Amino acid sequence: MTPSISFNAVAWTIAAFLVAALPHLTAMPPWLAVVVVGACAWRLALARRQGGPPPAILRLLLTGMAIAMIVIAFGGLWGRRTATALLCVMLAAKMMEMFSVRDLRLVASVSFFLIATQFLFSERLLYLGYLVIGSMTATIALVRIQDMHAQPSGEAPGAQAGAIRSATALLLMALPVALALFVLFPRLAQPLWGLPEQVMDGRSGLSDDMSPGSISNLFLDDSPAFRVEFEGPPPPASERYWRGPVLWNFDGTTWTSPFFSDAPRGQFVPEGQRARRYSVQLEPHERRWLFALDYPITAPDNATVTIDHQVLNRHPITTLSRYELTSNPDFVDMPQLPDGARSLALRLPEGRNPRTLALAAELRQRHAEDRELITAVLGWFREEAFFYSLSASPLGRHGADEFLFELRSGYCEYYASAFAILMRAAGIPTRIVTGYQGGLWQEGSDYLLVRQSDAHAWTEVWLQGQGWTRVDPTAAVSPNRIERGARSVIDRPGAVFNLDWVERLRNRYDRIQHLWNRWVLGFDHERQRDFLQRLGLPNLSPERIALLMLVVLLLVSAPISYFLLRQVQPTASSPVERAWRKVLKRLRRLNLAKGPAETPLEFADRVERTRPECGALFRPLAEMYCQIHYGGRTDQGGAFLQQARQFSPRKP
Amino acid sequence: MNTARSAPAGSNHGWPRRWFNAWIARRGPTRPPLTLRYRQIFILPTRFGWIFGALMFAMLMGSLNFNNNLGLLTTFIVAGLASNSMLIAYRNLDRLRIAHTGATPVFAGQTAELLISLVGNSPRSRPGLELALGDHERIVSVAAHGVAEVKLPLATSHRGWLQPGRCRIQTCQPIGLFRAWSWFWPERPILVWPQPAVNPPPLPEGNGHQNGMRNQPETDGEEFFSLRDWREGDALHRVAWKASQRHDTLLARDLRQPRSQDLHLDLARTPGEDAERRISVLTAWVLIAYQQQRQWTLRLGPETLGPGRDEDHLQRCLRALAELP
Repeated sequence: MTPSISFNAVAWTIAAFLVAALPHLTAMPPWLAVVVVGACAWRLALARRQGGPPPAILRLLLTGMAIAMIVIAFGGLWGRRTATALLCVMLAAKMMEMFSVRDLRLVASVSFFLIATQFLFSERLLYLGYLVIGSMTATIALVRIQDMHAQPSGEAPGAQAGAIRSATALLLMALPVALALFVLFPRLAQPLWGLPEQVMDGRSGLSDDMSPGSISNLFLDDSPAFRVEFEGPPPPASERYWRGPVLWNFDGTTWTSPFFSDAPRGQFVPEGQRARRYSVQLEPHERRWLFALDYPITAPDNATVTIDHQVLNRHPITTLSRYELTSNPDFVDMPQLPDGARSLALRLPEGRNPRTLALAAELRQRHAEDRELITAVLGWFREEAFFYSLSASPLGRHGADEFLFELRSGYCEYYASAFAILMRAAGIPTRIVTGYQGGLWQEGSDYLLVRQSDAHAWTEVWLQGQGWTRVDPTAAVSPNRIERGARSVIDRPGAVFNLDWVERLRNRYDRIQHLWNRWVLGFDHERQRDFLQRLGLPNLSPERIALLMLVVLLLVSAPISYFLLRQVQPTASSPVERAWRKVLKRLRRLNLAKGPAETPLEFADRVERTRPECGALFRPLAEMYCQIHYGGRTDQGGAFLQQARQFSPRKP
Repeated sequence: MNTARSAPAGSNHGWPRRWFNAWIARRGPTRPPLTLRYRQIFILPTRFGWIFGALMFAMLMGSLNFNNNLGLLTTFIVAGLASNSMLIAYRNLDRLRIAHTGATPVFAGQTAELLISLVGNSPRSRPGLELALGDHERIVSVAAHGVAEVKLPLATSHRGWLQPGRCRIQTCQPIGLFRAWSWFWPERPILVWPQPAVNPPPLPEGNGHQNGMRNQPETDGEEFFSLRDWREGDALHRVAWKASQRHDTLLARDLRQPRSQDLHLDLARTPGEDAERRISVLTAWVLIAYQQQRQWTLRLGPETLGPGRDEDHLQRCLRALAELP
């Protein structure tokens, strides 16, 4: 029999879908989100007047249109955003034929799936609330659908509140099992399959090229890039250069990586005197880069160090990842520069930036020594009216000329690029390093928070005897940028948000986020091993962990099962009643159970018949109980309690 | 009692079914009154449960692969939800008492209603209990400490004792992932009376021993007995037109046969082409006799019932007719 679909069940199902889809909706083009919400509103209105489904041909047509919308909205690119948007739109299309218990259940349960997919994009603490509210709504929807099925003829008042109660109980009692599974479920040390890089849908973060003057939103993005915990004290601000892609090629407007940028490093980096050990918790950025201080000694598992000392992971970072590194800041990179590398590091495009080239020639005449020349240029940056500013101005064909002689105001990319051109023109091999610089030291929680806005670009020049040496022209212009971080020099509009207390609140929130990342999100294969080791279970094979998990699951679910299945006794109201129950319990242990329809005195007769010695003790109790209970002789209560306490029949 | 026939989903469906039913019977009592316990309650995922499981598996693999811990947590919460729902489905049947089953007799061809009474036996309510017999299903809820009665329709075709087949009681509470169910057999067979003949010959008047076949209508001799509401089939001359006008409704004169109070109904003297037809006619006669409040005796071969005119006598007669070989 197919019960009629109740408005309430439809409403809860749609609510479950919308809550689960909310973050996805905000990420898709607004007009597409409007279509999805519109479909839900239409279905709700239809349910209100108990309408039927639209004709099949119309449904087919609209579903086809929905798919076409996805193709238009995402330009035919296939990525995770496209996949989840497609899922949302298909569920919205499903609204048109959501007219049976089966369809409603399907939508409600796919809501759970939708919630899980959102965590591929962000696992921030905030989303714990989303998980709670989303699974709560979906569970209520499932309960309401079952209610509708179980009570086809309409339901009792208060069913709604009852459904919310039972959904809450279901979820609360699911928690112990969920936590046991979470801690003990064997994790994969390596993914079963990786995502090819082209399916990534660009997320805020560094890019692998640099063209000064292009609009960059990165510096206004306060979201965390990574967090670092150090063994020992953190390095001073001037040494917090987090190495990312290294750029050698310049075509006049854009700096890009050379062909060999993925090649593994041949040089051996010794530990050195001032080795720094640290662990980094990297927010997903969909690229393969892991950020390291100069110069990483070895690569973490599943990663390599490239010839330019950049750490590259085998797969793109799609979830919060943790890695440990040791860096030796005193390493000398390439004491001898091969000719090929030298010519690449000196190459400049023809016919550009004549004034910069002239300046370089002039400087070269005055300073024969490379180090002196560099000092002179940095001094020039410092003394002339150069400013640090986040406002981007597009540069023309002679970008370095425009910047050095006219604009004289810009952010790190302008300085790094112009400086590198100047150096190359003066015959000093130069390359550009991008990455992050600085970070906020979280006092008390002892970790360094590096935000996207800490993105930075600097240069490395090759000097005889010193190898590649870091030179940061931005530091000459704006020492504050290096010492106190990007946020100290930001001149952003809407300064309301720059208030101190807002800042403090944000930092405090990030500390909680850090703990969350560390203990919940960062709980991976290694953390699991460490955790078990600390429990005294070292070196468990995955099979053993699985076995342990089963045992713990049994231990955890036993009390829950007992709690759920126990026979609820009406609570005894009076001491006499409680004592009477105890007496009956003692008799039950002797296989003398009082039948539900038996009166106390009838039962006493039976006890006397089967176990005379027992009956002799029990009969006065039964009589007294009846007198108290039915005869109103409450004065006998004390005596009854005393005798009941002494009543202890023995097994024959 | 004669051999009872089996109704749908009965036990004569070949040896696998018989073996299976015997296996169920070994697990505990199968006829009411019985209390369902773990040995009689079975549980498996519903079709939706399997789909849900596949969804959980997809979530698990995706989250594991990307080492996505919040995704895993979601998956595990859903897993906990599913395992709790399994326990609750079981709990919804556990200790439920099927107190008795029964049905009032019906005439063959009519639909019998098997009444099943359930005792909650628990301070928790038991919503969404689905009872099924054959193709018919009814859903009922039992309140806390409450009782409930369900009537399951059961088609009948032959007179005699009808043994309803296996009944199923199941529940998919609380969210439809798992189906907990149990089987039982109604405790007593249902009595199915013979189908009364549609157009029976007139009642055999007079002394049945002499003239069982006397059947010419004696409208002149009929004596006015009382007025009653007009029924379809009443002859026009029976309508009491004047009285009808007074009462604004059609009234007919009820006529009685005054001469012979006693009717002698004998199977051997009943017209009809075969035994079943004769039984059918006899049934109709018995009913007419009872309706007209006449005293009758029923003779079925060696057995004689009556004389009598009350309901008890009617019941005895109908039962005897149903049980005829």
